[in-house]
Amino acid sequence: MRPLDEKETTQVFEKLFKFTGNNLKNIVENPSHEGPDPNPGRYCFRLQKNRVHYVSESLVKRATNIKREKLVSLGTQVGKFTKGGSFHLTIQCLNLLATNAKHKVWLKPTSEMSFLYGNHVLKGGLGRITENIVAGDGVVVFSMADVPLGFGIAAKSTQDCRKMDPNGIVVLHQADIGEYLRTEDDL
Amino acid sequence: MGRKQKIVLPPELPPEISDDEVEVSDEDLQFVDDNRDYAGLISNLDTHSITRHVSRVADVKEDALESLYERRLRKKSLEKGKEENGLEVDRVDALPVKTLDGKLHYRTVPKTPQQSENALNGEDVGDNEADGGDKSFLRLTKAEKRAKLKRTRKEEKKQAKEVAKVGVQQTPQAEVLAEVEKELTAEEANERKKYKLAELGTALLMDPESNIKSLKEMLQTSKDEDHIVAVLGLKSLLAVFKDIIPGYRIRLPTEKEQEMVVSKAVKKMRFYESTLLSAYKAYLQRLMALKQKASFQRVAIRCICTLLDAVPHFNFRESLLAAVIHNISSPDDVVRKLCCATVKSLFTNEGKHGGEATVEAVQLIAEYVKVHDCQLHPDSIEVLMSLSFDEDLGRTEMSSANNKAKNKKNKKGKKFEEPSQLQENDKKKSRKELMSKTRNEVDADFKAATFAQDVRERRRMQSETLSAIFETFFRILKHTMHSIAARSEGISNLSAGASGGHPLLAPCLNGIGKFSHLIDLDFMGDLINHLRKLAGGGSNSAGSPEKFSRWLSVTERLRCCIVAFKVMKNNLDVLNIDLQDFFVQLYSIILEYRPGRDHGEVLAEALKIMLCDDRQHDMQRAAAFIKRLATFALCFGCSESMAALVTVKHLLQKNVKCRNLLENDAGGGSVSGPIAKYQPYASDPNLSGALASVLWELNLLSKHYHPGVSSLASSISTISSAQNQVYHSNVTPQQAFMQSSLEQELFNPKADKEKANLKRKRGSGPSKPNSSMTNLDVSSKINEDMVKKRLSEHFLLVHEISETKRLRGELVHTTSSLKLYEQYKKQKKTKKDGSKPREMRRA
Repeated sequence: MRPLDEKETTQVFEKLFKFTGNNLKNIVENPSHEGPDPNPGRYCFRLQKNRVHYVSESLVKRATNIKREKLVSLGTQVGKFTKGGSFHLTIQCLNLLATNAKHKVWLKPTSEMSFLYGNHVLKGGLGRITENIVAGDGVVVFSMADVPLGFGIAAKSTQDCRKMDPNGIVVLHQADIGEYLRTEDDL
Repeated sequence: MGRKQKIVLPPELPPEISDDEVEVSDEDLQFVDDNRDYAGLISNLDTHSITRHVSRVADVKEDALESLYERRLRKKSLEKGKEENGLEVDRVDALPVKTLDGKLHYRTVPKTPQQSENALNGEDVGDNEADGGDKSFLRLTKAEKRAKLKRTRKEEKKQAKEVAKVGVQQTPQAEVLAEVEKELTAEEANERKKYKLAELGTALLMDPESNIKSLKEMLQTSKDEDHIVAVLGLKSLLAVFKDIIPGYRIRLPTEKEQEMVVSKAVKKMRFYESTLLSAYKAYLQRLMALKQKASFQRVAIRCICTLLDAVPHFNFRESLLAAVIHNISSPDDVVRKLCCATVKSLFTNEGKHGGEATVEAVQLIAEYVKVHDCQLHPDSIEVLMSLSFDEDLGRTEMSSANNKAKNKKNKKGKKFEEPSQLQENDKKKSRKELMSKTRNEVDADFKAATFAQDVRERRRMQSETLSAIFETFFRILKHTMHSIAARSEGISNLSAGASGGHPLLAPCLNGIGKFSHLIDLDFMGDLINHLRKLAGGGSNSAGSPEKFSRWLSVTERLRCCIVAFKVMKNNLDVLNIDLQDFFVQLYSIILEYRPGRDHGEVLAEALKIMLCDDRQHDMQRAAAFIKRLATFALCFGCSESMAALVTVKHLLQKNVKCRNLLENDAGGGSVSGPIAKYQPYASDPNLSGALASVLWELNLLSKHYHPGVSSLASSISTISSAQNQVYHSNVTPQQAFMQSSLEQELFNPKADKEKANLKRKRGSGPSKPNSSMTNLDVSSKINEDMVKKRLSEHFLLVHEISETKRLRGELVHTTSSLKLYEQYKKQKKTKKDGSKPREMRRA
């Protein structure tokens, strides 16, 4: 377990910024109320076996007691560095993203399942969409009841969505909560 | 027969009837007897010229039928002849043509110098006399003719008088009149002029065709030096024009057409039309000139407006329109109101002019806004709100286009067949072509003649109008943006004049809201972007929101939000879009709202459109708004809090999960979402963590002094306990606001006058007519007694309470002192007991 170096930090923050925009500040400065300390600590990012975790400082202190190879996970996993060196967000960070999401898409109940099986979001399945999405932005996918389902990358801007045919892809799938079942072992 | 000849000929007609044949009625005789003075003119008849006419005509006229024709046209040509004669008599005097229009040259004839007076008068009267005689002969509107005769004589007499005094002078009439007025008292002259105006006007209205000439006379009067007379002249001319202008546009005959031989009826008509047109033109020019003078401005504008309103189809509409639009944001209230009303009526009664004037007006307004750099009175944009568009036009046009395409196909098919049949017969073909050609021409003529418009034409006009409107709107928006950006770069001293900087923004936003369903989808992205920036949520950088919000008032920013939502709502059929940025704006605007400064209705409207009408909300956001609105309701007047509470109720009914706010313990954990603690200062409703809080405000509000607020608050707080509530509040925040602001006037009639005044100014004041205010005052007086009674009861109660408190305090005090005394006694006793034995021991 070690803090991220500069290159890794920029990689992580760039990814997160795509989804949260200016709310990234909230993620970093969020006070943590874990642990017995009277004054709230902060959250920080830690790298452990190529996986990036979002951990409160008090937890980090206590985790130092455990050997590195024995430590499986701590805090919330945010993403992982691939063998090629690029950073991927994983589904565990969904809660963090959903809270601070800048761009959101709500799915109709009929198309929820399709998304949870790992498919892209089509225009026909779109219940609502935030205004002002630009193609390439990170989008958090919600059900109509405001349950976060996953996230992805916008394929079209909101304006273009109006004119699209219902079979066009709006959001490219990146991760969904179905992964907890489908790829349980990898997580 | 050439045209010239015809004009000269007719006057010679009457003498055909010899003097003996002319029936002189008793009335005529009496008239002559009564007016001996005039008879002198008759005695001075230029018999020579008359006989000349008679002799000349005698050999020309032999056909009875033709003479009948001539007689019918006699009147018109007679006038012309008269004119011609007048000119023949004295060319010299015809020279100083003074009027603006060249055709008015014979106007100078009546003012001929004295030498030719007799001859001219003689001829004139002779004509008239013969005229009268002829009339009686034909038994046509005799009385009217006589009236006219009388009038002309009077005029002539008057003019003769004037001219006699002035002598031979080639000065404009104004000067002549000025000199005359030295001798005649001014009042007398004015009175006479007024009478003359009235006579001329009524005569014109009775029979415009025959009296068309007197238009010029009236025009002359309107140029009078005296202000009152001139105004009267303008006004009477307006009345006349309004009445006699035909329902079509006059097209003057071309040179070629004038050369063509036409029937007399047509010629008469042409003369009438051309005279009318020239007089109208002169009148308009006069108006335009007078418009610049301060003293005449209102009258001139009123005339122009009425004309434009009454005859928008007629010639010279463009100049009228230009004048009206030019004054649409005049600093003079009366003028501006007039112009605006005219333009509005122009927009609403499109049938009168077939929509062309609308297009022109809108384009002119757009141009005007452009030229003046958006610094105009709001009224000038508000007029656009009265425009209406036919949305079905597009569809019908589409279907008709389809039909046309089909027809074309059919035609093509036919054409392919036709050649084989027709090639043999070229003659037949050419004839057919000719036929179709003429048919087309007839069709075109028919189209030109009827007012029924082509659908395509109307569509074109609508789209032109629309593009002009949106050009204006976008220009205003952009201008506002630029001015804001420019100003915020400078020093921020000018914050006081912030709202005054863009007067057109509010009506422009209203307009966009109204016509939002007609905006092209391609524009929408830009429009929303602009609105977002104006509302204060610039998406580009964090610094810009503050920059903009500093320069726009809360009301304007609220309006931006409202418009954005309207635009989105009207285009909802395509995609359900969530305007998150605007919610963030509203969330922060609620905090900035100040009851005295900002418009409560706008806030209520925003609450309705953004929070009540929208179908779904995030739970977090809804909770945040509920919390903030409840807090808001605590600190503002009852009308605002009513609006806020109605919204809160609405939100709570829709979002069942948010009812957690009503539970007693602060939620926390998974219920409250990822943010575990309520952050009242968060700018984003999604991050405020409102679900972790409790709506304690409702408890306070249920003790609100206003019964409506308190009952509503308590009903909200029991919303969750009342199971499966089917009752849906159908009161919108707006209605609630209006109602309670009305009630408020009743509620505290005199308690706080300053406050009440403020409320009036801000809230319903401007929209409410004054009569209702007085009504309110009356009813408030009635209520005063009741309020007094209640107050006295209340104070009595309070007094009693304090009294009992005091008594209770005394009671406690006395009991405590009693206790103390008892203790003291006991102690004393024990002391005594203790001391006694000692004493005894000592003893």
